[in-house]
Amino acid sequence: MTRLVEVPSQFDDRTFDQFTAAFAQAISDGERLLFDAHAAEWASPYGLVGLLAAGQAAGRGRGEPPLLTAPTNADVLRYWGRMGFFQQAASLFEIHGRYPKAKPQPESDVLLPVTPVQAAQDVHEVVSRIQERAAAILRTVGLDPKATMGFAMALSEACQNIVEHASTGGWVAVQTYHWRRRLARQVVVIAVADAGVGFRHTLEATESRRFADRWGDAAALEAALIQGVSRFRDPGRGQGLKGIRNYLARWEGKIAIRSGTARIAIVPKWDDDAALKDGLPLFPGAQVLIIVPEQGSAKP
Amino acid sequence: MIQHIDVHAALQQSVPGFYADLVTRATGRAVREHIERRLADATVAVIDFTGVGCLDYSCADEIVAKLLRARVRVLLLRGVSDAHRETIEPVLRGHGLAAVIERPGGTLETLGPSESAAALVDELVARHLATRTPGGAVVLTPS
Repeated sequence: MTRLVEVPSQFDDRTFDQFTAAFAQAISDGERLLFDAHAAEWASPYGLVGLLAAGQAAGRGRGEPPLLTAPTNADVLRYWGRMGFFQQAASLFEIHGRYPKAKPQPESDVLLPVTPVQAAQDVHEVVSRIQERAAAILRTVGLDPKATMGFAMALSEACQNIVEHASTGGWVAVQTYHWRRRLARQVVVIAVADAGVGFRHTLEATESRRFADRWGDAAALEAALIQGVSRFRDPGRGQGLKGIRNYLARWEGKIAIRSGTARIAIVPKWDDDAALKDGLPLFPGAQVLIIVPEQGSAKP
Repeated sequence: MIQHIDVHAALQQSVPGFYADLVTRATGRAVREHIERRLADATVAVIDFTGVGCLDYSCADEIVAKLLRARVRVLLLRGVSDAHRETIEPVLRGHGLAAVIERPGGTLETLGPSESAAALVDELVARHLATRTPGGAVVLTPS
């Protein structure tokens, strides 16, 4: 028997928990999953890497891969193809429907197509590739060219969370687009996702006693993002997320991390997201969203 | 003895691929181990970052902080961009360590907590590696 997981028609961080609720329910009885994206109208980089993480989790330890119905809208298909989604999805899903199989071409708004991250070498590749285009693209959102290095640093640290803590591979994608609905500004978005062990598991041995009854996914995220805690006792560890926070504070940026049943965000004044959500549907690994908005233009 | 280290060259020799960025802890560790072999018994080292692109916190910690913690007493940083500086400074603060950046013209800028930075300047002056100018700046002693 196959269990259906509907991909929201507008698939981004705002609708991700609609998706994870369907995923958590469907995966619980051990049946093969069918991810239905045929009616998808739009997906953010976060939605795309999150869908890959779901496919990774759904196929784990099973003889056959989960199914995926590709979007039917031609523009959506083109965009997903341009983002390199299908190249990665082909090894995780049995894909139904027509979809572009060609390698993604460099496009002006795609800073980095969906790219697998498994080892330190992958992080090097990602950072090198992003810098080839970042300076020009970041100028379009009004960032000082000097901010390029900070952007590369934030990207590197976000990817390293996969390499160091996930115990599995993950994906990263970077794109710039006009965020008309929420902000009416150009934004640069970094999305990173894996279906690994998650923050709670990573920090359990060193932090659970300190938090006692409060210990859980939310406490683990708070320890990592707010307190800069790492599973390593070395005082030099845990600086990466803090560094990302400092960078984003300067550029009015946002970071949100979802792991397990919780989600934490550093919320800039232009956004109305919740700082911490707990008791969400269980989803494996960690999903990181970083948004840098256009500087000094329309007032949000 | 003062040992001069070209970090970009150390990166090329430590990690496969021709990368200019010091990113990931694994890379930082490899580069530091390469530098440590070059340092031998030197307690003062000049680390030149010219040609290095992105420097992340993991590499700043593995290279700058760990060299200072375990191998050298004085670290003079050259070719440091503003972005490098912004990464190195909080790492040093986290460890309570100090290093000096050589600015164009030979003036020195300290990085790290003020107490450690002041002690470092005293040591540089005591070792005749630097002198205080009448204006209050600290400059490298011509070699």
